[in-house]
Amino acid sequence: MSKTEDVSKTKTRPAIIASRKTCDAEGTGLSHFVLMDKQVKR
Amino acid sequence: MNVAAPLVGGRLPDGLERFDIGHADYTALIDPDTAFWALLRQGEPEGLDALIRQWQDQRGDFAREMEMLRFGLKPSAVYFNPTERCNLDCSYCYIPREMRRSGEHMSPERLMEAMARLEEYFARTMPEGRKPQIIFHGAEPLLNRDAMFAAIDAYGDRFRFGVQTNATLLDDKTAAFLMERGCGIGLSLDAPEEAIATRSRKRWTGEGVFASTLAAIERLKGYAGFNVICTMNRENLGQLVPMVEFLHEREVPACMLNVVRCTQPGGRSSWAEDEAVAKPYLAALERTHQLFRETGRKLVVANFANILISILAPTARRLMCDISPCGGGRSFFALAPDGSLFPCSEFIGLPSFAGGNLFTDRIEDVLDSPAFKLVTGRKVEDIRACSTCPVRHFCGSPCPAEAHEANGGMDKIGAYCGFYLDQARYAFRLIADGIEGDYLWDGWDEGTEPAFSFGC
Repeated sequence: MSKTEDVSKTKTRPAIIASRKTCDAEGTGLSHFVLMDKQVKR
Repeated sequence: MNVAAPLVGGRLPDGLERFDIGHADYTALIDPDTAFWALLRQGEPEGLDALIRQWQDQRGDFAREMEMLRFGLKPSAVYFNPTERCNLDCSYCYIPREMRRSGEHMSPERLMEAMARLEEYFARTMPEGRKPQIIFHGAEPLLNRDAMFAAIDAYGDRFRFGVQTNATLLDDKTAAFLMERGCGIGLSLDAPEEAIATRSRKRWTGEGVFASTLAAIERLKGYAGFNVICTMNRENLGQLVPMVEFLHEREVPACMLNVVRCTQPGGRSSWAEDEAVAKPYLAALERTHQLFRETGRKLVVANFANILISILAPTARRLMCDISPCGGGRSFFALAPDGSLFPCSEFIGLPSFAGGNLFTDRIEDVLDSPAFKLVTGRKVEDIRACSTCPVRHFCGSPCPAEAHEANGGMDKIGAYCGFYLDQARYAFRLIADGIEGDYLWDGWDEGTEPAFSFGC
């Protein structure tokens, strides 16, 4: 059984899960390239 | 490649839609217009009325946030092609063959002039303290290395730079230059087995480049701003699990498993059906998780991480393909070596999508041109299959170039509807299991704050 089908794991999870975070939008990428961090650590 | 995936779910009286995520315990409720979601244990769990009241109280805030994200951004990145030429002849490239074989470089003087014009534009539009990004892209940008490096040295304090390269020219000196200046570096490799990698990525002579890519991966080991793109196509789908094992073993921090885009005939002939892509792709994601649990070290699959983030924190996403309108022509644009401006690199082989020229036109006017408006005006509400889809703001119906060229228009879906649906389902299952953080880079939510919380 894969982890996403593991019923026992979710028994301790809440009956309802809902969350959302927010921030200033900085989306700049496209699917050819990604800068993972805001500034590459040197 | 123009078949919408079937949906299991249904609209509820209160405006939320039920979405089957394929989980044994949980199902999803989604407000598609605001990208609000909740996972409910099967049945009618206690607290549902309170959840709905809280959602209704905040729905206007979420709607305004999505409106800003979808229609309020200005460009902050440029995909800068310093040459038309490439030393490879990859089967699925979206840049026309003749252009790659015998095209022109942008001259060093012209390249500096382009940088000056871009600096002037961003000085007018970018918030103070935020640097725009220049990603040197191709074709193969390192064929015009000296001109490109002069720009990086001249403008390194005012822009953030990245390079997407096939790695054939990424020798010690070149890699050191880019790493010393903190540039992002993206490499391309399609399989961990040379024979399979060479089927799609090869020189004009047919000779593969596996060895030089491998050498570059070793050279960049330990550098945080480094990633590898694997283009999923019908030749390498059986290699995706070994591929992530290969990259993880070499300590690559991030990769992208991108579907081959069907904009050009070469891409269309490499296309595979949704299920054929989704199954090995999800297996590869599972494998990255196992590897993380075994070693404590992550190989982030960035394109999937972006979909997870689009669910967890819509405004924190980094990639702008999986939102509608996409980022092409509104949060970034592409510059061709002759100065032509396109909404995205994917359009560079389609002359009718050139909205103007950097050397003769104001960028603001180009962004407002009919060619750009055709792309920035494409939204999921106008695409029949998407208009009723609950995950339309976690998918965005990519890609407009593909929809236009392969499926007949901007009001058509892209080529991988079911694949995106499966990704959304998988992402929700991870959230249900509380393990979504294992698939994201550490610190992904720095700078975010909670906007909604219920049961967690």
